[in-house]
Amino acid sequence: MPMKKFINDPANLTAELLEGLGMCFSNKVKIVNDKIVCRANPKSEDKVAVLTLGGAGHEPALSGFVGEGMLDASVVGDIFAAPGAPKVLEALRMFKRDAGIILVTLNHAGDRMSASKAIRDASKEGIKVVEIVTAEDISAGVDTDPEDKRGLAGCVPLYKILGAAAEQGKSIDEIVEIGERFNKQMATLAVAMTGCTHPQNGEPIAVLADDEMEIGMGQHGEAGGGLSKILTADETASRMIAELIKATEVKSGDSAMLLINGTGATTLMEQLIVYRKAGKILAEQGVSLVNGWCGEMLTVQEMGGFQMILCKLDEDHKELLGAKAATPYWTV
Amino acid sequence: MLTIDTFKKMIAAAGEEIKTNEKYFSKLDADAGGDGDHGTAIVTAFKAMESAEGADFKSYVKSLSETLQAAACGSTSTLFGTWLEGMSDGAAEGATELDAAGVAAMFNGGLEEIGFVTKARLGAKTLMDALIPATEAIDAAQGDGIEAMFAKAAEAAETGAEATCQMQAKFGRARNLGERSIGPRDAGASSMACIFATFAKSL
Repeated sequence: MPMKKFINDPANLTAELLEGLGMCFSNKVKIVNDKIVCRANPKSEDKVAVLTLGGAGHEPALSGFVGEGMLDASVVGDIFAAPGAPKVLEALRMFKRDAGIILVTLNHAGDRMSASKAIRDASKEGIKVVEIVTAEDISAGVDTDPEDKRGLAGCVPLYKILGAAAEQGKSIDEIVEIGERFNKQMATLAVAMTGCTHPQNGEPIAVLADDEMEIGMGQHGEAGGGLSKILTADETASRMIAELIKATEVKSGDSAMLLINGTGATTLMEQLIVYRKAGKILAEQGVSLVNGWCGEMLTVQEMGGFQMILCKLDEDHKELLGAKAATPYWTV
Repeated sequence: MLTIDTFKKMIAAAGEEIKTNEKYFSKLDADAGGDGDHGTAIVTAFKAMESAEGADFKSYVKSLSETLQAAACGSTSTLFGTWLEGMSDGAAEGATELDAAGVAAMFNGGLEEIGFVTKARLGAKTLMDALIPATEAIDAAQGDGIEAMFAKAAEAAETGAEATCQMQAKFGRARNLGERSIGPRDAGASSMACIFATFAKSL
């Protein structure tokens, strides 16, 4: 069956979507050497640069968050595929500076490998790079080794924290401390209701029965636990937020940020209904919500479902989340 | 002694054998819960390496690494590119032929470098299950001559690859299948075993 997608040659998807991003947001981003998305107006070199890497096909992530107050650049791979280490190294060379570079890597095998290789090569050239790895998916269990947990959409609020701290001119050590503290205090749980098709080869990904959903699926709906019959928005939200509260240990008197990330086919209507229930449960427990977000940050084509992200916030995190940001898909 | 011309023939022969088995490697990858593209990736890698140049071991193997990483994308190119880069680091400066110790140093250099970019070790159901025992066999058999070193490496790599059938994947997409990844042979270990088998045969 032919795919119902507005595409041209499947081999050109990434190049064409980046071209579109660059044209649409020419005041914010520019595309350099095919696969490196940079800020249109770079910040000064005495400030720490914040970079990330990852596959395409997850728009607006990751490149939609390049801009003032968030990422300085994203290194893009092909659809669902990590960029090669040489491309990451090229980006690190572009941003070489005394202040240093922070590279945010989502914990997926291909991304981790390219990042490790590029950082190793960059270090040999005297480029100062510190890597922050996100692995906030709790579907494998809160106590699972972080090496075995995946990085999901939680990278986006982390970009915001790191970008704002870098913009203030903080040192790389200070920014890494703030970022890692935030990283440890966030947790994500995903739910999928319908699968999607790989836009290059048309192969179905994560097929689910018509009456089923699955809590705990990964970025591409990789097989996981928690298969059930379809639950209501309130039941789904209640189950998920209970797990996230346990994982982050937020309690009465704490501040927290709650985000719902639609994965492609789930409407904003549904996301807002889910947000409302999870938000109410947090409020009932005495947790004050700040800087919420509902919408698409990191999608998986037309996959139906969402990721719920809960971040416990310290005072400095609150301030950084409120700082100015002007990127294609995140503005404060 | 292993001459650079013989080594170039070994690489070319390995490339031919890999091409012959392209579909088999992709099928293994899909069976174990991966992307089902390992055959395509490894063939792309070897095709890219056909344009590698260099008169001595160090520069030729470095060129293999660079041509491969420039042409291909994804984990295969990073892993193989890093392995080859480490081998180049391990090869003596300007050498056009290597003795047993020189061959061992080259392969040891490859294993050391690849260990920096992947955390996978024995038992994780990856190409390391073939590469680690093969490299150790080369190192251990230095006293028996170069032919014996590669023969033992081929044997060790095949044993290691076969053992992956019983393993649960710990890296890549296959990891998410958990126990369901047990059964099929790992695609990366299988192509690595194929490479060492061809190396041994072409001597």
